[in-house]
Amino acid sequence: MATTAAPAGGARNGAGPEWGGFEENIQEPLSSQGGGSAVIDMENMDDTSGSSFEDMGELHQRLREEEVDADAADAAAAEEEDGEFLGMKGFKGQLSRQVADQMWQAGKRQASRAFSLYANIDILRPYFDVEPAQVRSRLLESMIPIKMVNFPQKIAGELYGPLMLVFTLVAILLHGMKTSDTIIREGTLMGTAIGTCFGYWLGVSSFIYFLAYLCNAQITMLQMLALLGYGLFGHCIVLFITYNIHLHALFYLFWLLVGGLSTLRMVAVLVSRTVGPTQRLLLCGTLAALHMLFLLYLHFAYHKVVEGILDTLEGPNIPPIQRVPRDIPAVLAAARLPTTILNATAKAVAVTLQSH
Amino acid sequence: MSPGYAGQFFQPASNSDYYSQSPYIDSFDEEPPLLEELGIHFDHIRQKTWTVLNPMKPADGSIINETDLTGPILFCIALEATLLLAGKVQFGYVYGMSAIGCLVIHALLNLMSSSGVSYGCVASVLGYCLLPMVILSGCAMFFSLQGTFGTVSSLVIIGWCSLSASKIFIAALHMEGQQLLVAYPCALLYGLFALLTIF
Repeated sequence: MATTAAPAGGARNGAGPEWGGFEENIQEPLSSQGGGSAVIDMENMDDTSGSSFEDMGELHQRLREEEVDADAADAAAAEEEDGEFLGMKGFKGQLSRQVADQMWQAGKRQASRAFSLYANIDILRPYFDVEPAQVRSRLLESMIPIKMVNFPQKIAGELYGPLMLVFTLVAILLHGMKTSDTIIREGTLMGTAIGTCFGYWLGVSSFIYFLAYLCNAQITMLQMLALLGYGLFGHCIVLFITYNIHLHALFYLFWLLVGGLSTLRMVAVLVSRTVGPTQRLLLCGTLAALHMLFLLYLHFAYHKVVEGILDTLEGPNIPPIQRVPRDIPAVLAAARLPTTILNATAKAVAVTLQSH
Repeated sequence: MSPGYAGQFFQPASNSDYYSQSPYIDSFDEEPPLLEELGIHFDHIRQKTWTVLNPMKPADGSIINETDLTGPILFCIALEATLLLAGKVQFGYVYGMSAIGCLVIHALLNLMSSSGVSYGCVASVLGYCLLPMVILSGCAMFFSLQGTFGTVSSLVIIGWCSLSASKIFIAALHMEGQQLLVAYPCALLYGLFALLTIF
C-alpha cells in the first residue's frame, strides 16, 4: 500500500524532493523542535501518519508551521540573550541571571523558614497562662520593695500583666489628652499614645537588658520586660489621679511616693541580681533615672491644662478642630440661655451668639 | 444500521430535567430569597442581640460558632449614625479601632485559650457586644457626657459591654476562672469607643 501511495503522495503534494519517506518525516519534527530531543512528540504523530495522503499532507503542513514557529522562537531567544541582563550581554548575562535566580530562591527559602519560626505566636503561649489572683498579687507586690540583696529575688516571667498595664497607660494617656484638648499636629492621638508607651516598655527594657549584659547581671529579656511592665503600675496610678485633679503639689508628692516605690522595687530586684558596686550603681541609676523621668514627661507633655482661656473666637468661621471655651456658663448667661451642659454643636452656636 | 450493532444509542435526556438543574436558567419563583442566599437571618441576629442585652443570662457557647458579621456591621453603622447626629464625623475611627481591637483581642485569646479561635468569631462577638455603646452614643445626642453623669454612665456601659463579651468568650472557649482576665482587655477596647463617644 505504501509503494502505491508514494508517487501519488508526491504528485499530490507537488513537491517531490520534500517527500523523502517516513524516516525523514519522523526526523523533521525532532529537528524542528530545537534539536537533540530523544523524545518523540506523539502529538505530531497521529495514528494514521503515513497511511493516508490526507494525513501526510496535514502532517507536512504542521511541520512547516512548526519550523516557522521554531525560527521565530530561536530569533526571540537570540534577541533575549543579546538583550542583556542588567547591562551584561551574552553568556555573562545568562550566568548573572542564573545566579540572581538562585540567590532569590535561597533568600526566599530562608525568609520563609525564619518567618515560620519567629512569627509562630505559640512560643509566647506559656507567658499568658495566669490566674486573676496571681495578677492581682503581682500588681500589689510591684509597689513593695523587698530589701534582700544577697540572694536573687524572684521575678514572675509572664507577659499578660505587663501588656495589660501598657495598654492601660495608653488608655489613661488618651483620656488625659482628650480632657485637656491636646492637639497633636503631626500624627494622631492614638498613634502618639501607643508609640510612647510601647516604645518606652520595649525600648527601655532592651536598653537595660543590654546594660545588664555589660554589667554581668543575672536577668533575661523576658524578666526585664515583666519587671518594667509591672513597674508601670505606679505610673498608671499617678497619672490617673493627677490627670483628674490638677494640683502640681499633689503630682510631685505622688511622683516621689508612688513612682519612688515602684522604682525602688525594680532597683532592689536588680541589685540582688548584680555583683559589684560599680555595676549596681550604673544599672540601677540608669533605670531609676529613666523611670522617674518618664513619669515626669508623661505628666507635663500630654496634659496641657488650658485654664479659662478662650482660644478661638473667630465668629462664624470656626475651624473644624477647635478648642472649645471652658467657662461655658458665662457664655450662656450672656446669651440669656438656661445654664445646661450642651454638646459640641450647641457650644459652637453659643460662641457664635456671644460674638454677635 | 446493521442488525449486529451492539452499541448504545445516545438518547438525549428530557429537556425539562436538564434545564432545571442549570443555575443560570432557574425560574424566578424557585430562587431562594435574597437574604437567605446572603446568609442573613434576622431572627438569629435578634436572638444574639437579646443575649447581649441581658448580661445576667448565661451565654450559649454555640453562638460563637456562627461567624455572622451582619449584626456587628449594623451596630457599627448605628454607632456612626448616632455619632453623626451628635456632630462627630468619625466613621474611619470606628472601623479602624474595631479592626485593630479585634486583631489584638484575637491574638490575646489565641494565646490564653487552649483551643484557638478564629478572627471572624472574635469580630462577631465584639461587634454584637457593641450595642450598649450605641445606647450611650444615643444619649450623647441630647446632652453632653463630659460631666459626672457622663463618666458614671460610660463606666456602666463599658462594664456592660465587657461583661457580655467576656461571658460569651468564656462559654465558648472553656476558660473558666479567667473571666476577669478576658473582660479587662475588652473593657479597654470599649473604653476607647466611649472616649470617642464622649469627646
